[in-house]
This record gives sequence, C-alpha cells and structure tokens, in this order.
Amino acid sequence: MASLANKPDLIVNGKRVDGRDFDELRPIKIEAGVLKNADGSAYLEWGNNKILAGVYGPKEVFPRHMADPSKAIIKCRYTMAPFSSLADHGRTGPNRRSIEISKVTKEVFENVVILSEFPNSEIDIFIEVLQGDGGTRAAGITAASVALANAGIYMKDLVYAVSAGRIEDKIVLDFNMIEDNYSEADMPIAVAPRNNDILLLQMDGGLSKEQLKEAVGMVLEAGKKISVLQKAALNDNYKKATEQYGQKQ
Amino acid sequence: MREIVVPGEAVADRPVRMHNTCICNDKTYATIVGLFDKEHNEIIPLEGGWLPHIEDVVVGIVKSSRNSVYEVDLSYFKRSILIASKFERHPLKVGDIIEASIKDIEDRKTIILYRERALHGGTMIEVKASKVPRIIGKNSTMVNQISELTGASITVGRNGIIWMRGGDVGLATEAILKIEDEAHVAGLTERIRVMLKNRTKNGE
Repeated sequence: MASLANKPDLIVNGKRVDGRDFDELRPIKIEAGVLKNADGSAYLEWGNNKILAGVYGPKEVFPRHMADPSKAIIKCRYTMAPFSSLADHGRTGPNRRSIEISKVTKEVFENVVILSEFPNSEIDIFIEVLQGDGGTRAAGITAASVALANAGIYMKDLVYAVSAGRIEDKIVLDFNMIEDNYSEADMPIAVAPRNNDILLLQMDGGLSKEQLKEAVGMVLEAGKKISVLQKAALNDNYKKATEQYGQKQ
Repeated sequence: MREIVVPGEAVADRPVRMHNTCICNDKTYATIVGLFDKEHNEIIPLEGGWLPHIEDVVVGIVKSSRNSVYEVDLSYFKRSILIASKFERHPLKVGDIIEASIKDIEDRKTIILYRERALHGGTMIEVKASKVPRIIGKNSTMVNQISELTGASITVGRNGIIWMRGGDVGLATEAILKIEDEAHVAGLTERIRVMLKNRTKNGE
C-alpha cells in the first residue's frame, strides 16, 4: 500500500494534500454524554475520524483476583469497526494493532485518573472507531478523556492527544491517512495540559533532536485549542437547561 | 456565583483543602465536572456515581436472607449486608424494600447496614446519585415540598434509589426527573413549587 513507487506529492505550493497549513488541525467536534446506558460517553469527529467512547465504572472487578484493595484498575478496549476504513479491518475483535493501542491508552489514563478514590473497583474504557482516517489513537484518547470526565471519575487533568511528524524536512501537525502512510515520521503525543506532562510518545520513522523539539512545540500549541473544545463539550450538556431558565426570567 | 468547572481547571491560586479537588504546584485544581461555589469554597459534583459513606441513608431490596443476615441490593457493585437485630419482630422477606443507614464499610468491600425500616408497597425510581443532594435540598426543603404538594410519602436514598407511595406519585416522579435535569440551575426549589402548584390546581 504505502510504497515509494506510488508516493503522491504530500506538499504542493506550501500546502498539504487537503489544503491545510503545516500547523493546522483538522476540524474537531466533540459531544459528551451521547450514550444513555454508559456512565459516561463522548462522540468525536476529527476530520474524517468518527469515534465513540464509552466509560463504565467504577464497578466490580472481573476476574476477582485482579482486584486491588488500594486502588482501582483501568481496562481499555480500542477497536476499529469492520467498516471503518479502506484498509482491511474485516474481522471485529482485537488484533495485534488494537491490543497495542488499548495498552498504551490504558497507561495514559492510569497517570491522570485518581485511582486511590475507587479501591477494589474497575473502570472500563471503550473506544470504538466508526470511521478512521489517520490519527485514531490520538483522537481516541481525546474522546475517552471527555467520556471519563462525563462519567464523573476523578481525574487530575483532561488529556488530549495529537500526532505530529515529518514530511521530507518539514514538521507537520495532525496527519491524515495519506500523510500517515507516506510520511517520513509519525509521532502521536498525549499531553496532560496543566504542566504539559507527556503521557504518550510513540514514533514511527525518525526525527532529529531539533525536529522533535519543533514537533512537540507544535503539539503543545495546537493542544490549547483541543482543550478548549473538550471543556466546551462538557459544559454544553448543561447549557440547555440554563438557557431555558434564562428565558423564563 | 456558581460556575461549571471540569477536571484540571484551576479553582484557587493557593492550596485549599476542598472536596473533589487536587493540589499541585501550590494550586488547587478541580478533579470532577461540577459547580464551583466561590463563596463557600466547594465543588458540587454534577456527574459521578455514589461513593458510600458512613451514616448515608440508602434504599434497597432484600436479595437473600440466611441466618438472620440479609443481603441487600443497593444497585451498587459492592456487597451490602444487614444483620438482623436480636429483637427483630417482623423478619424481612426476600423482595422487601428497606430504608437503612450505613454503619460501616468493612475492608472497603462490604457495606454493613443498620437502623433498617421496611417500606411497604409503593414505587421505586432510580436517579443519578450525583443529583441526590439537590433532590433532598437544603434541610430537606425540596423533598418536603414535593411530598407536601403531591401528598406522596417519599424516601430518598443516597445511592440514587427513591421510593414513593400514596398521593400523586406520577407528578412527584415528574418533579424529581425535572430536578435531575436542571440540578445545576439556581432557583430550582421555587420553580418546582410553581410547577407542582399549577399541576395540582389543574387536576382538581
């Protein structure tokens, strides 16, 4: 699929394949509390990515022997729907890639959720990619973070994640699928925005020290916009009743 | 003035001991979606389940009984048991609805109940546990007002289960669901009173 033989031009006249600037995010839309049965949920549209995240818990640990009497345990399940992208995701259920993403996502949230508040219990995070177009693990983390807050689980911070990378010698933010496949380096980063703690940093390809610094700087700058959207999504749930009340008076 | 805060939002520039917050770099941050009350320095949760505390009043159903130990379903994942008093005159049966207080939480695993009271007949509804304080109101004003105007006797459990009997249970349910929806808006007690007054007048 991604071979050098049929590599398209990723940068034309200083713009990217979809007409964005180098440090421009795709349009993001977040909605919180979309699933009635879940304790917390979020729906995220990030460019062509469509992601549903659901959170259940705190609940009883299963299997029981995994229970920790001093803190909660987190379980995470990232899956791509069979119809989510052009590439072959024909079978549902975990595969090598989704098991890895589930693991790294779980470790991101183990750092921000205050686990000691929920001893002997389990928090389940489900991330379902309905439509994928590059950067789904970053989008999944962003959505799951809103879903966790919507579930009322104690968290130190609202995590966001974006990918940055390199096309030839240019550092570029938020890859889509085509850029992801043909770029020289791709690096998803998850950040807790208060102190800019980096909770996830994976890299496919290579970056020099200066390029890495530039990429991280770009992510931190873009993250401010994502944080605003996350907060707005959580606030929107309460807007309707507030406005109604305002009209009555 | 109350404003909505989300996890990670700074609520004070100095370390303040407050529920639902964490202290980091000598600043205080919210850890939950809630209403921050600046005057009283507290965050009232808008989301989240019930965390059991000693002396919480709860409503549940007797699930099993063995050797004078009742297991009670509080729609919570931890096991909760009620040890029958020596002087128990009317033993509880499986399926009975009871109101009880939490005496102890053993090993962070088992909730021990006491001061039980059987509730006969009636209807039960389940609401978000985070909205229960608002349904009860300051000094139980809200719940007293609903039971006064609808004629229903109401018992609110901290675990989010509400039991009602007699009077206009349908109207009382409607009022409670309205509170659940609008818990974050000020002046709710007054609006519920107006709504109930109008509705009871139309019914007559």
